[in-house]
Amino acid sequence: MWHIIITSLPEMISAMLQYTIPLAIISFIFGLILAVLTALIKFIQPSENKLIKYPWLALRAVANFYVWVFRSTPLLVQLFIIFFGLPSAGVQLSPFIAAVIGFSMNTGAYASETIRSALLSVPQDQWDAAFTLNFTTKQTLMKIVLPQAIRIALPPLSNSFISLVKDTSLASSITILEMFQVSQQITAKNYQPLLMYTLAAFLYAVVCTLLTFLQHYLERRTSKYVKGSEA
Amino acid sequence: MITLKNVIKKYGGKEVLKDLSVDFPDGKTTVILGPSGSGKSTLLRSLDLLVRPESGTLDFGDIKLNYAEPVSKKLSFDIRKKTSMVFQNWNLFPNLTVLQNITTAPMTVLKKSKQETEERARQLLGQVGLAEYADRYPSQLSGGQQQRISICRALAMDPEYVLLDEPTSALDPELETQVLLILEELSKMGQSMIIVTHNMEFARSVADKIVFVENGDILFDGTPDDFFNHPTTRIKDFLSGITFDDSKTLK
Repeated sequence: MWHIIITSLPEMISAMLQYTIPLAIISFIFGLILAVLTALIKFIQPSENKLIKYPWLALRAVANFYVWVFRSTPLLVQLFIIFFGLPSAGVQLSPFIAAVIGFSMNTGAYASETIRSALLSVPQDQWDAAFTLNFTTKQTLMKIVLPQAIRIALPPLSNSFISLVKDTSLASSITILEMFQVSQQITAKNYQPLLMYTLAAFLYAVVCTLLTFLQHYLERRTSKYVKGSEA
Repeated sequence: MITLKNVIKKYGGKEVLKDLSVDFPDGKTTVILGPSGSGKSTLLRSLDLLVRPESGTLDFGDIKLNYAEPVSKKLSFDIRKKTSMVFQNWNLFPNLTVLQNITTAPMTVLKKSKQETEERARQLLGQVGLAEYADRYPSQLSGGQQQRISICRALAMDPEYVLLDEPTSALDPELETQVLLILEELSKMGQSMIIVTHNMEFARSVADKIVFVENGDILFDGTPDDFFNHPTTRIKDFLSGITFDDSKTLK
């Protein structure tokens, strides 16, 4: 048994470093950017100026549609449409790019609701105080509301990231040689499915545990102003 | 001088300010009294545009505003530059230190230098007896301390008028006294203030002018002496209604 583990581990870890982790990190960064934009489009009330108001409402409709589509369909189906489906419409993407697009869009849709609820959880009192000091909406967001919202959004966003790390195993279905795909290939040779898939599960667990530590560190850093957190 | 004329504010069809006109003199302390839900806070917030009345005018020295018309960003900026609000629950920014709470707005909005702003902030903190708390976070301080800091935050913007919306209603009596002493000091220094409060003793001792509001109407507008010593029947009822007396029974 140890022999099998020792011989397959390097291959699996290398697949993890080459695909699983980069896929997760890159997709999460893009997903987060999408999420913040989507959340702000939904959150900010446009001014009464018609030149701003109507384009803004159109943008908001697009944002709503995007979130609806990606939350109402399975991630695997989304990946299949992007990678296997789009070529029929003349859009040919490499597996990696297709995966990044699928994972980013999916993560962005979910995380946008996390960020929107975090923005909503900052009390109106904070906006009142900022407006009476003559802060603009943008200054209020940047200096007052977002720093407080980030702290609130951190635990659910960590959930999203941890889910994403595990969801990258779906990329095996669009021909990416990520860690789970590699474990399947090794299993096909050594007929040890229990051992190989448990090993894959273990490696995912290691990464997710490290991420949990990172989450706790970030939570401490962003909570230093909260009562009782100085301990 | 701030002059409000014919101000009407409705919430869901109900008029909370009914064609109300009043002025707030310069360099004086005006105290707004009245029962809960009378429209006192709405009146105060209208001055800072945190509430937008449906109609009426605001005349603030060189600035004239018609509430019925759209308010430009410039106009709203100019009005808020002349006023600063202190809130019932102080509304400090929890993510900023005490010092940053005071300095962020002057630096960001008024583009003052960091050094100048911090010096001023520390001086203000010294005046309210909290110099050594500059680097703490608001959550580490008591309500009374936080309210004193929020007064510093308002003053750091050099407003012509400080508007205070029930500044001590959320404080216990001991902490309340700390805040009231500071307000009394400011009042003596001739800072223009408009204070909504339920504390009659305080009103009596600091007010230059009293405005009594009920159901969105102004029922009294005059000196504290007239208000407390020659009250109308309604004011007499109000004053006796808020005094504890065990010979009274619930109506």
